[in-house]
Amino acid sequence: MRYETVIGLEIHVELDTKSKIFCSCPTTFGKPANTNTCPICTGLPGTLPVLNEKVVELAVKSGKALNCDINLINKFDRKNYFYPDLPKAYQISQFDLPICIGGYIDISLEKMNKRIGITRIHIEEDAGKLIHDTYDPISLIDYNRTGVPLVEIVSEPDMRSPEEAIVFLKNLKSILEYAEISDCKMEEGSLRCDANISIRPMGQKELNTKVEIKNMNSFKEIHKALIKEEKRQIELYSFGEGEKIVQETRKWDSAKGRTISMRSKEDAHDYRYFPDPDLSVVKIEKTNVISIQEAIPELPQEKRVRFINKFDLDEKDVDILIDDKKLADFFEELINLETPAKDASNWIIVEILRVMNAKELKSIPIDAKRLSNLISIIDRGVISRTIGREVFDELIISDQSPKEIIEKKGLTQINETSKLLGIIEKVLDNHEKAITDFREGSPRALDFLVGQVMAQTKGRANPSETRKIIEEKIEIIN
Amino acid sequence: MKVTIETIEYIANLSKLKFDTDEKEAFAKEFESILTHFENIQNEDLEKAKFSLMDNTVGTLRKDEIKTFENRKELFQNAKEIKDGCIVIPRILE
Amino acid sequence: MKKIIEMSIEEIKEAYAMKTLKVSQVLEAYFDQIKKYDDKIKAFISLREEEAIKEAKILDEHLEKGELSGLLAGIPVAVKDNISTKDLKTTCASKMLEDYQPPYDATIVKKLKAAGAIIIGKTNMDEFAMGSSTENSAMFTTKNPWDYSKVPGGSSGGSAAALAAGFAPLTIGSDTGGSIRQPASFCSVVGLKPSYHRVSRFGLIAFASSLDQIGPFTRTIKDSALALKVLQGKDPLDDTSKESSNIDYFESIDQPIYKMKIGVPKEFLSEGLDSEIKENIVKTMEELRKLGAQVEEFSLPISDAGLSAYYIISSAEASSNLARYDGIRYGYRPEDYKDTDDLMLKARTEGFGKEVKRRIMLGTYTLSSGYYDAYYNKAMKFRSKITDTFKKAFETYDVILSPTSPILPFGIGEKTSDPLEMYLADIYTVNINVAGLPALAMPSGFSKDGLPMGIQLIGDHFDESKLFQVGNHLEKKIKVKDIFPKLEVK
Repeated sequence: MRYETVIGLEIHVELDTKSKIFCSCPTTFGKPANTNTCPICTGLPGTLPVLNEKVVELAVKSGKALNCDINLINKFDRKNYFYPDLPKAYQISQFDLPICIGGYIDISLEKMNKRIGITRIHIEEDAGKLIHDTYDPISLIDYNRTGVPLVEIVSEPDMRSPEEAIVFLKNLKSILEYAEISDCKMEEGSLRCDANISIRPMGQKELNTKVEIKNMNSFKEIHKALIKEEKRQIELYSFGEGEKIVQETRKWDSAKGRTISMRSKEDAHDYRYFPDPDLSVVKIEKTNVISIQEAIPELPQEKRVRFINKFDLDEKDVDILIDDKKLADFFEELINLETPAKDASNWIIVEILRVMNAKELKSIPIDAKRLSNLISIIDRGVISRTIGREVFDELIISDQSPKEIIEKKGLTQINETSKLLGIIEKVLDNHEKAITDFREGSPRALDFLVGQVMAQTKGRANPSETRKIIEEKIEIIN
Repeated sequence: MKVTIETIEYIANLSKLKFDTDEKEAFAKEFESILTHFENIQNEDLEKAKFSLMDNTVGTLRKDEIKTFENRKELFQNAKEIKDGCIVIPRILE
Repeated sequence: MKKIIEMSIEEIKEAYAMKTLKVSQVLEAYFDQIKKYDDKIKAFISLREEEAIKEAKILDEHLEKGELSGLLAGIPVAVKDNISTKDLKTTCASKMLEDYQPPYDATIVKKLKAAGAIIIGKTNMDEFAMGSSTENSAMFTTKNPWDYSKVPGGSSGGSAAALAAGFAPLTIGSDTGGSIRQPASFCSVVGLKPSYHRVSRFGLIAFASSLDQIGPFTRTIKDSALALKVLQGKDPLDDTSKESSNIDYFESIDQPIYKMKIGVPKEFLSEGLDSEIKENIVKTMEELRKLGAQVEEFSLPISDAGLSAYYIISSAEASSNLARYDGIRYGYRPEDYKDTDDLMLKARTEGFGKEVKRRIMLGTYTLSSGYYDAYYNKAMKFRSKITDTFKKAFETYDVILSPTSPILPFGIGEKTSDPLEMYLADIYTVNINVAGLPALAMPSGFSKDGLPMGIQLIGDHFDESKLFQVGNHLEKKIKVKDIFPKLEVK
């Protein structure tokens, strides 16, 4: 019996606005508890919500970036339930008339391209945070996050494997970052994902019972959780115990490596949605939608195609550059400074990423101008690529120019034969065996000799010149 | 229009209110008479009626600017217990 | 000179302008009256005498220099206790908010202060504005100054009684289904419910968001127009508030009302209306004819369904607006509880009164799954029908005249048993809130037992000018405004 996995995702994304959705409190992450608060977002009696115009703009933008239709008239509804992190005991959300409907993302999988549908996108406000005290049997409530604007993006159940789900999420994250809708940092909660997964026999049209999985805090965890749950369900079906799969919410426990059934919340989800009487209906002009759409910067897919066509780069390299908007932007900065594309790409992928990973940096550690300068210095043969790396490491921690560093450290490449000759002759004198080895057919011996000269000159000798001179010399000696 | 005790209990649960048996029975009776009265709405011809939303209102949109609430210290002046700047409640098990 | 406590705002302002009165004098007169009679009447939940005296002193300095400015400069005001005041508790007459002190002022409170008014205290009301007698207050019941055994009406009973008893020349109330107009008529004072969208609701502790409006109680129609001028205006903190046009109510207020067409819905004069009130309406129609207006009966087919729509919509909105009272951030917290859920349950069960709980339950029911379509959805559709019916009527009529209450002020304790009976008495007032129209209640006479009667003038959306104009002329003709209750201390 072959089974098919059906996955749908619900993604909550924090919109990149300065102030909250219904009040003017800041949205900055990581502030001391309850410092980004006011009577409105803490639900004090008598307060009223007023919509932030940027929220509408970014929601429309996300809709257009994801190929959705915009509901030019949409409204807010109250979702009523009790929970300590929800100050008004209702969340202002959108129920039956969301701002965007019907979109898609095209993803590339190994063997094919696939279109994953998006059912809808709606605007809602975030809730606060509960901090569970470690010693006392109390919980603390921080309302900094209440009222931060969110869009909820609901996908169609079009994904057929955990891998597909991750590719979709990566694409989605990339698009939202590029379109400057959100900074999409899962570790800061600006991107959250819940999954719905069900299994059915291959060929069956109807969907079987789906299970919701929550509490996955990174793409890696989402992948693990989906694989685990997929396995759990398939096992039950294959043992004829499919009825044990109930529609429920399961929590992913990453320490235990499995999904756990959650304590059911009593309210049985009767949210009693009704239109929020404190807020006007949202009306969007078609011309606004068009101008917002036109303002969307080049999205990852387009950029990828352009990079491949224009710059003659390896596809795998392009993928790395595109994956992170910062890298793609930096690459284009270098190009604008007339850096050859191949060099720009190499330096970013090899050196910059090396440093960022080693030092766990979130932003690019060097400015394009000085790097471009360095690259052209190397290309002109003033220093070798190897020395270049040394200079690069210095550039990162100082604000001196490459020229200043090279001069200060005396790293200029030695190119002139006259200067190299002396050192080469010395090395040849000291390594007769190597000369013999080379003559007997070992090319490595030549490398060794070149290496010796490099060591002697602390890497400053021009390696290809050195090699040439040694070869000539050896011929002559012979 | 019959209203059962179970319905009253369900609604009380959703409203986070607790009633004793006498109160629940009283509610059930009251609701029956009130809801029977509400039935006069069912007799109205609402075919052509629109769901009344404020669709004639030009809504206020706020500019995306930060304003700090000046009396932040007084924001929680009515809370019964504060620790580390947060409101304290009995431990929640999630 | 007239007694200070019997003066209108206009008269006090004139006295300030003529320097025949000082602000501290005026304030003292009102506080004296309060100290003498509020022990019995119980209109106030809290007072702020000390601060008010300080403010009066400063205003007197301005007065001396001839620099007293502000439309309500030096006018003492009492505010209903569901309107947020930063330096006074705001209790909504509920155990739930007994100790609640807001960290901010409602927008209208800011406006009153900016106009130079002196806030003297917070008045009693039905708990969370739910009720028509002020008997639902968790604090105490306010007495009708005209007859201490009767209710002052509700839910703004405290503000109406305070005005009638001479505790302030201006008091503020709120009206969701008649809560300004009915007590105004029960206490023989002028009460205005402005058009919905006219006055900011920011800081008004919400009962039913799409129906609530704040409005003034005054002695005269002109005072009411002045008060509205100060209270109205678009508030960036209230999305439902709209820009007020620059119409100056005082331009038309004295214009004669010849040729104005005034309609009286015949359905309102049918059974259920007290015979004395009916007689009074007929008399008022005559007076209006003498003033040159064209007065006639017409059919306004709103029917009982309007009352149902009102109760469905207001309960639904209330059930959601009152969900935030859970004992966590503010408000009543029970003595002990086993966990957070128990805390919330006990806080709400013990903190709310009977009527409030009833409305919450009703509202939750009408919104719950399975019932939304039958009740809320239908009520909201019917709402647009009611609005259209009124719109059509205003194509013919400038103003609609109606009673405010089908019954005279009733005895304290007389009507608290049957909720449906109480709801049905709102028949003349609720539809106006449902349609968002402005309505002005004004005194129109007394019953043979000396109980106040009032009439209601209803206008088209944002057409308060016409109400003031008709009301102003009628007031001069009826001459009820200069009759004052004989207050007793026992």
